[in-house]
Amino acid sequence: MTTALTLLGIGHDFNGELSLSDINLSMETGECLALIGPSGAGKSTLLTLLDGRLKGWSGTASVLKKTLDANKPPQRNTRADIGFIFQDFALVDRLTTYQNVMNGRLGRTNNWASVFGRFSTQDHMIVGSILRDTDLAELADRRVDQLSGGQRQRVAIARCLAQEPKLILADEPVSNLDPALAEKILQLLTGEARKRGIGVVFTSHQPELSQRFADRIVGLRDGRILFDQPTHEVSENTIKSLYFGAPPEPGLRVVK
Amino acid sequence: MHKTITWLVVVGAIAWAALTADVEMAKFAKAGPRLWDFLSRMIPPDFTIWQDMLRGLAETLQIAILGTLFAVILSVFLGVLASETLMRPYIWRSTRALLAAIRAIPLILVAMLMVGAVGLGPLPGILAITFHATGMLSKFYAEAIDNVAAGPITALQSAGASRQQQLRYGIWPQMAPVILRDTVFRFELNLRESLVLGVVGAGGIGLYIQTYVRSFQYEKAATATLTVIILVLLSELANGYLKKRVS
Repeated sequence: MTTALTLLGIGHDFNGELSLSDINLSMETGECLALIGPSGAGKSTLLTLLDGRLKGWSGTASVLKKTLDANKPPQRNTRADIGFIFQDFALVDRLTTYQNVMNGRLGRTNNWASVFGRFSTQDHMIVGSILRDTDLAELADRRVDQLSGGQRQRVAIARCLAQEPKLILADEPVSNLDPALAEKILQLLTGEARKRGIGVVFTSHQPELSQRFADRIVGLRDGRILFDQPTHEVSENTIKSLYFGAPPEPGLRVVK
Repeated sequence: MHKTITWLVVVGAIAWAALTADVEMAKFAKAGPRLWDFLSRMIPPDFTIWQDMLRGLAETLQIAILGTLFAVILSVFLGVLASETLMRPYIWRSTRALLAAIRAIPLILVAMLMVGAVGLGPLPGILAITFHATGMLSKFYAEAIDNVAAGPITALQSAGASRQQQLRYGIWPQMAPVILRDTVFRFELNLRESLVLGVVGAGGIGLYIQTYVRSFQYEKAATATLTVIILVLLSELANGYLKKRVS
């Protein structure tokens, strides 16, 4: 096992308000990690940082053995290595399912050829096989603005897989879906990641889903990590105190 | 108090306009027979001039097509300058002020100025349409740029897409339908407006209408009017079809 990411003493403030404070975290390749916590805990901020899109943070961060720069976005290759699934899907509405999934190949393929609409046979093969894996082959020619919420979420996952990422970050990937569908989507996401041997970090408002799908759960509140434990060690009380109670460890300062 | 003053101003303005304008009610009584005389002289329309009509129509179409083309080219450039998301406030604000000033000048006035500058024929018409349409299209293009959703662009950037790829697969698909719709709409307006440009000597079928009316050849003027009506109806049909296609 190799390390997929390491964060040391990460801090960040947003317009003077502390959004992340003293974050230390590491994760092995192939691991599935859930970030849980109340709204405003810093889950999305942390994911954005890992994706290289957050600016002005302090500390040391390395993802896939590349050190992140707090002032500069990563190179094209590194960006392609880190897959990101957005809460609101962030699909291009007027394009078809096929083209949206092909958009995941943009960081891997020849720049100018793709600008003129030419993709390699390999690109088409990868997209074709991912559409089958995600059960989207029949919707390939449909515009994504004609799809249901669950179908759009699958397109977003398929686009991320088409990237051939070495790490997947998913920001509230199932918050817009009903419970049955949410379970299916998380099954798809974590299953495909496991098949490919890549790690997943996902944020969630639903602790029970995190307990079902993650190997490890990290509880965040007010920009701090309150606990970081293997899933089977996380008790009902730990989760309750994360959302409703005082900090579980004595002496820990809650930043307001 | 404030309301009373407003009402006084409104009533005063209406009274001033009605009492001081040279409107003789008696003229209405004579208008009916005259209008009837005018219309009856238009029937039957003289279709022997169909070749002139085709020539006039072709010139009107040329003015509308080239005027729209040049306006599109200028508007791409000015639209970018007028975009709030791409430019600094002092650039987009001054560009938008310039565009508003352009839109404020009536087309017929521009056409007269152009006729004065480059002489009679379709060229002043093309220049006038280009100038006038640029004021509107640039504003529309700037709005199309500003309304592009940022989320999908961020997603492509995160996936490793270059700036050119982001433009081609994230920005353009969002902008294209709006830009196409606005351009088609503007072309239809240009076509209607170029119909009357001939009246001031700026080419097209309007020149024929003016000539026939001034020389009392009403049956020919009727043919020209029918031609214009058919052209406008056809352009509306085409516009409707294109709008459906790009939505």
